[in-house]
Amino acid sequence: MNSKKINKKDLKKLLDTWRRDFNLIVPVLENEVITMDVWDGKDTAFIDWYRNTVVPPKANFLPPGEKMISFEKKKDGIVLEIPRNGQRQIIFGVRPCDARSIAIIDDVFTETYEDTYYLSRRNNTIVIGLSCNSPYDSCFCTSLNINPVESAHVDLLFTDIGDDLLIEEITERGKGLLNMPDTIKKATKADTEKGQALKDSLAAKVTKQVNVKDMEHRLQACFNDREFWEKAAAKCIGCGICTFLCPTCFCFDINDEMLKKQGARYRSWDSCSFKAYTRMPMENPREERWRRVRQKVCHKYQFLPANLGVTACTGCGRCIRLCPVNWDITQVLAGVPQKEAARSAK
Amino acid sequence: MTVTQISQRKKYLAQDNVYLPHIVVVEKIIEETPSVRTLHFHFKDDTLNREFTFDPGQFAELSVFGVGEATFCISNSPTRQGHLECGINRVGLVTNALHRLGTGAEIGFRGPYGNSFPLDDMRGKDLVFVGGGIGLAPLRSLIWNVIDNRDKYGAIAIIYGARSAADLCFKYDLDSWKNDKTVNTAVTIDRNESGWQGKVGFVPAVLGEMAPSARNAMAVVCGPPVMIRNTFPVLEKLGFAPEQIVTTLEKKMKCGIGKCGRCNIGNLYVCRDGPVFTYAQIKNFISDEY
Repeated sequence: MNSKKINKKDLKKLLDTWRRDFNLIVPVLENEVITMDVWDGKDTAFIDWYRNTVVPPKANFLPPGEKMISFEKKKDGIVLEIPRNGQRQIIFGVRPCDARSIAIIDDVFTETYEDTYYLSRRNNTIVIGLSCNSPYDSCFCTSLNINPVESAHVDLLFTDIGDDLLIEEITERGKGLLNMPDTIKKATKADTEKGQALKDSLAAKVTKQVNVKDMEHRLQACFNDREFWEKAAAKCIGCGICTFLCPTCFCFDINDEMLKKQGARYRSWDSCSFKAYTRMPMENPREERWRRVRQKVCHKYQFLPANLGVTACTGCGRCIRLCPVNWDITQVLAGVPQKEAARSAK
Repeated sequence: MTVTQISQRKKYLAQDNVYLPHIVVVEKIIEETPSVRTLHFHFKDDTLNREFTFDPGQFAELSVFGVGEATFCISNSPTRQGHLECGINRVGLVTNALHRLGTGAEIGFRGPYGNSFPLDDMRGKDLVFVGGGIGLAPLRSLIWNVIDNRDKYGAIAIIYGARSAADLCFKYDLDSWKNDKTVNTAVTIDRNESGWQGKVGFVPAVLGEMAPSARNAMAVVCGPPVMIRNTFPVLEKLGFAPEQIVTTLEKKMKCGIGKCGRCNIGNLYVCRDGPVFTYAQIKNFISDEY
């Protein structure tokens, strides 16, 4: 693989260049919450303070709320209009776990029917990865076979190797962004060796581990073990934050608004943590909280693997560190019996 | 329905956007019961009126702009098209709004979505249709389809019930089927009423009394969940294997295309993998959440 490098001090120059042609999204700290948002062009200090965002990058493709259709009642009937999305953008600083999450959601929004709204943003986005130098205690990406220095699903991967950032060219699209001979140099053998060494040393920093081997079938075997799920759901308060901030959770709601003759249809994030998510006028298949917790865990580790062949979890740890009651999915997963030991279905 | 067949349906997408509804115009309203009405409507775009087709059992998302979207099966038969029909039970926000509409109103339509009743498997067989309440809506699409191709099928029995005579939907269909000598129709209400000439009792019990033969037969069941759950054991007792029993399920839906997440039963989405399932499939559902 071709590797290049840039001095950290020159990063601003590079981002300034990109900003001319693209909407440039970087980690931004606003009201004590880190999100991926438009770069203000001031500095690149985030490269040193940034660990990972609170709001995952899915928000850049599937925003928390978006207008799908505007409508207007006119004399000769209803007129519908679709908003135009799809400004060319670069997201810089996506951690390897989150890069994987984008690939997972891509599958969901392209299978069978294509989701125009998601894809209009996604297809116009260049994803630039940034290796993860300081994983949190709650991170368990390595259990999902993700290395903190991982080049999958990004166009370029940047790795902090001290004074310089090592750049791995992954796609042609990414390569095309590096045409700045005065600031971007060829990486030396020593540089690439530093990057290689980080692969091992950073992976060792991810101390939280969970054995997810055969999890799809293990969950299948204990799916009807109500006692297990009641215990798993015991302290959950059903606030939904783990799903809203999960990089692979994609469920959404669709609602209308109308003021006199004009209105719009909106889509917004929704969560299987809420009763209203499945409530019908006559009944609700997931009225009890343990059913909703079971849905959340099994959707990630059983249903999506069955449907699309991927586990919908990246071990990013957000659902653990941002949970107000310290619910921990790894504890639930660790408790799922090995298949042969699974308690009999009730 | 396979994915290939689904992609053929994509030709009905508005501007290649699966969420953008087509405008349809309400042309006729039939008040079926105090809480159920049938809307007859056609596309504003006449090309679609000529080209649009669907299979019995498929559903659509209807929208009242400014109120929202909800899921309804297309209740007329593709053999009797010219317009589309949906039966609307007034239970929530959107259905209440649909009940306030008059003829000429413009609403949104996306579809057809989902799989359909297994007409190929039903060919040459005796058919038993078991319906309750508004559950006749998807069944009537299938029943008219079968009647319009009468020589392709064996004996037809229809068992339909509602809480009271006033709650019977599609009475005009029930009358035609009663007058059709090639169809054995039984209509029942939960409790007797003065002047009532049909049967009295719950649908599963009446089905048990009528005891249609399971030999070379298929049963199609649609109604409220409690009726569906109680009908399966009666059919099994009559000798129907789970593969011979077909039903269509209802869940809260938003997108209708397997993305928004909520209508799943285990790894299956009712909107994308259903809504039509055999009892054999349901028995294998990992979850009792149906």
